[in-house]
Amino acid sequence: MKTLIANGKIPVATHYNTGKNEKLTIKDKLLLGLSLSEYLAQAFRNPLNWLFAVIFTFGGYVTVSRFFFGLGYVTHSSYDYPWGLFLGWGLFVMVPLSASGFMLGTTVEVFGRHDFKPIERLALLNGLLGYLFAVIFLQVDLGQPWRLIYPMFVSLGPAAVLFLVAWHVATYLSVQVAELVPAFAEWAAMPKLKTAVKKTILGLTIAGIILSTLHQGALGALFTYAPGKVHPLWYSSPFQWFHFFCSSIFAGLSMLIVVSTICKKTMAWRCDKSFLESLDRLTLGLAKGATLALITYLVIKIIAIAHDGDWGYLASGWGQWFMLEMVAGVILPMVLFTISIRNNMPGLARFAALIAVLGIALNRLNTALITFNWKLYQEIPHWREVMICIFIYSLYIVTYRFILYRLPILYSWKKDEDTASS
Amino acid sequence: MELIQKYLLSSLMAMLLCFSSYGTNALAGEGPDEVEIDSLAQLYDPVYFDHAMHEEVTESKCSVCHHHTLGTEIENENCMRCHAESGATDEITCQGCHSSKRFDADYLHKIDADNTLYHRDKVGLKAAYHIRCMNCHEEMGVANGCQDCHTRTDAGDKFFHAGSYTPPKSDKPVGGGH
Amino acid sequence: MKAMNRRKFMKGSLLGGAAASVVAKSKSAEASASFGGYPEAMGVLVDLTRCVGCRSCEAACNKEQGLPAPAQAFDDMSVLDHERRTSEGAYTVVNRYEIPGQDHPLFRKIQCNHCNEPACLTSCFVNAYTKTPEGAVIYDPTVCVGCRTCMVACPFYIPAYSYSSVLNPVIKKCIFCYDTRLKFGRPPACVEACPREVLTFGKRQDLIKIGHKRIQNYPDVYEDHIYGENEVGGTSWMYLSNAPFDQVGFDTDLGNQPILSYVKEFLTVVPMVLTIWPALFAGFHLLATRKDAKNKEEKTEI
Repeated sequence: MKTLIANGKIPVATHYNTGKNEKLTIKDKLLLGLSLSEYLAQAFRNPLNWLFAVIFTFGGYVTVSRFFFGLGYVTHSSYDYPWGLFLGWGLFVMVPLSASGFMLGTTVEVFGRHDFKPIERLALLNGLLGYLFAVIFLQVDLGQPWRLIYPMFVSLGPAAVLFLVAWHVATYLSVQVAELVPAFAEWAAMPKLKTAVKKTILGLTIAGIILSTLHQGALGALFTYAPGKVHPLWYSSPFQWFHFFCSSIFAGLSMLIVVSTICKKTMAWRCDKSFLESLDRLTLGLAKGATLALITYLVIKIIAIAHDGDWGYLASGWGQWFMLEMVAGVILPMVLFTISIRNNMPGLARFAALIAVLGIALNRLNTALITFNWKLYQEIPHWREVMICIFIYSLYIVTYRFILYRLPILYSWKKDEDTASS
Repeated sequence: MELIQKYLLSSLMAMLLCFSSYGTNALAGEGPDEVEIDSLAQLYDPVYFDHAMHEEVTESKCSVCHHHTLGTEIENENCMRCHAESGATDEITCQGCHSSKRFDADYLHKIDADNTLYHRDKVGLKAAYHIRCMNCHEEMGVANGCQDCHTRTDAGDKFFHAGSYTPPKSDKPVGGGH
Repeated sequence: MKAMNRRKFMKGSLLGGAAASVVAKSKSAEASASFGGYPEAMGVLVDLTRCVGCRSCEAACNKEQGLPAPAQAFDDMSVLDHERRTSEGAYTVVNRYEIPGQDHPLFRKIQCNHCNEPACLTSCFVNAYTKTPEGAVIYDPTVCVGCRTCMVACPFYIPAYSYSSVLNPVIKKCIFCYDTRLKFGRPPACVEACPREVLTFGKRQDLIKIGHKRIQNYPDVYEDHIYGENEVGGTSWMYLSNAPFDQVGFDTDLGNQPILSYVKEFLTVVPMVLTIWPALFAGFHLLATRKDAKNKEEKTEI
């Protein structure tokens, strides 16, 4: 893409062709204003695409085989570990990392911090795709995915925590789609659609906060069904939901820092000035929010240990593993964030964000897989299970990139009058 | 319904008549020489219980098996509390007291309805045999496996997936997924 | 009937808004008291002192439930060399435990314990599970989505899943022979098959009395505890043992609270968030954007 821009190609950001007053077709927009051969040529030049091709070939085959040969073919069919990587990674890690949508929605729309506007849409997209792919992961994991709507319409079990998760994720997905409609409407030249949604944005945002608080917490509360199975250091009946909710705040913010960094490094051509110029400032702003959440999380974690009287476990091997998670995944990013904010070092904040993201992934995997059944044996996922996870995650990245290249997420759409007259 | 009946017949609890009734107030040595027990007839051939031999082994202490019912000396102190003076009873057969329909709704209701009943936790006929016989065999160190007393029928082999119904050996781990 | 009220309360607290939070307050006292189970519920008292590990119960279960042929014959005692759990092909299994200081091993049959307040039931988001008044915890495979939360929730590691099935994988577990026997007042197949009445079938309330009576009569033999009388809110299947329960594979750390009680802390948060958040954040919005509004006003005045 860089070479193309150097050759004078300008990425599509208007409905009109540069220089001419011709309206761009959807095809032009999809191909980023390039001809089909030009588009394919640039795609083939990217070595990352070749890696994806390999992953899609093998991973795609394994994923399809799951639907032909059943879960038993791709997993160890464990009765003791009913949830494997599909949920451990796909649901419990993906969802907190996607909390950015409601966080930035709240910041901009509710608290009126319009200075965060340049990154709001990226945060919303990060949220939407994270949830969407969490659902895709879920669809691979469910025994009978074609019954996904049963808890909504066929047989309702409203007293179950998962019922709440199902409804809230479904509703929240629609909210996030609605929140991103303006971006799509600009791109697809449907101004009326945009105005219609804009009016409801405050309501949508507040709905987003409620739904997010509850389902992020509910994912934690799911483990309160297994009080004896999750290790006490990762389990606390009264605090579990709050641990998950609170950690999702810095998880979402950190993920946003990581994603925006990747965007800046790999697709600067697609970002506009206001995004690139404000990113350092915004990164530190996000870092501030993440730090506060990290401190709160650390404190409430310690309170939970004190409340449940789990101090004794800290001396065990599990305790050391726990402290490693807390020091490397919580305290270290917290300290690094603080240093970066004080000394105005956005680069350090980006590094800290990456650590925080890895830390939260470790926390969720610890809760769902590693310390789960701590009194029994440790389950190691089947290689096909890992392969499917890599496949779906690659699909997530490719979809993410596809949308970022096109919709006005990292750049603002130029108004028709501006371009038509130029 | 037919299926249920079929099962009833084939199940282990298809209790038929067993110990034939014999004279009351029997004294040691007056018992039958041999008793045919065929209550498990579906899965096992009848068992021929050598009553005379067991009288010898127990040195004619009938209460070892017959509790207090023969009016002989009782060894269990707990039973003594009530039965020390109760003397011989009219009913001395096993199935006279130990029901072959221990868990039938009628039997359970009957116990339920009778508040004054002391022996509420009385095992059924099959358990009475097995507990009495096997515990003693264990103590004496004599043969105590299922087929040491019972010859299994073809239906029994089928039920246990044993004998000619034994599954072919496979390398698959036992019990499937962990 | 109490159970019904409680379920309704939970439904309310998840679905409802303001009303639910008010109801939650008035009913929480009732909900926190333990549901003792249906008065007429049947149960089984398993007396480990009687079991010799003959596996007749396993064979009977296999036949009654139409399960696939076992990998090894039911009279093959070599399977006892490894500890097993219930699986999609075996709703009940017997395990052997060597007890330190005793010359004889103990055998323990495991199957669904049919809890008074089943964790599987409360965790199911399609309501596939039912606790029948007869005491059985049964399962409707036609609505199961296959999320397997019930397997996560079961404190006894009982429900299994037919992972091998492509088109219709479902939960597989003991249903107390509900369809074929319990419904008609008859004991489950394993109970009938047991030669030594290790399994005593009867009303749960009577079995508790019987269990305590046995302990009272033979205090030197039995541990002074009926496992399942109170564990996780009480179970329909209960155990007597002559060795400490943790030495026979029982989890003695489960506590007496139903699993639902651990989840309740979150469930009470739900109506609060639903009702308080909208007002709270709308308020924040008004406060945060006050300046903007003022500016606008001034602009229009000019």
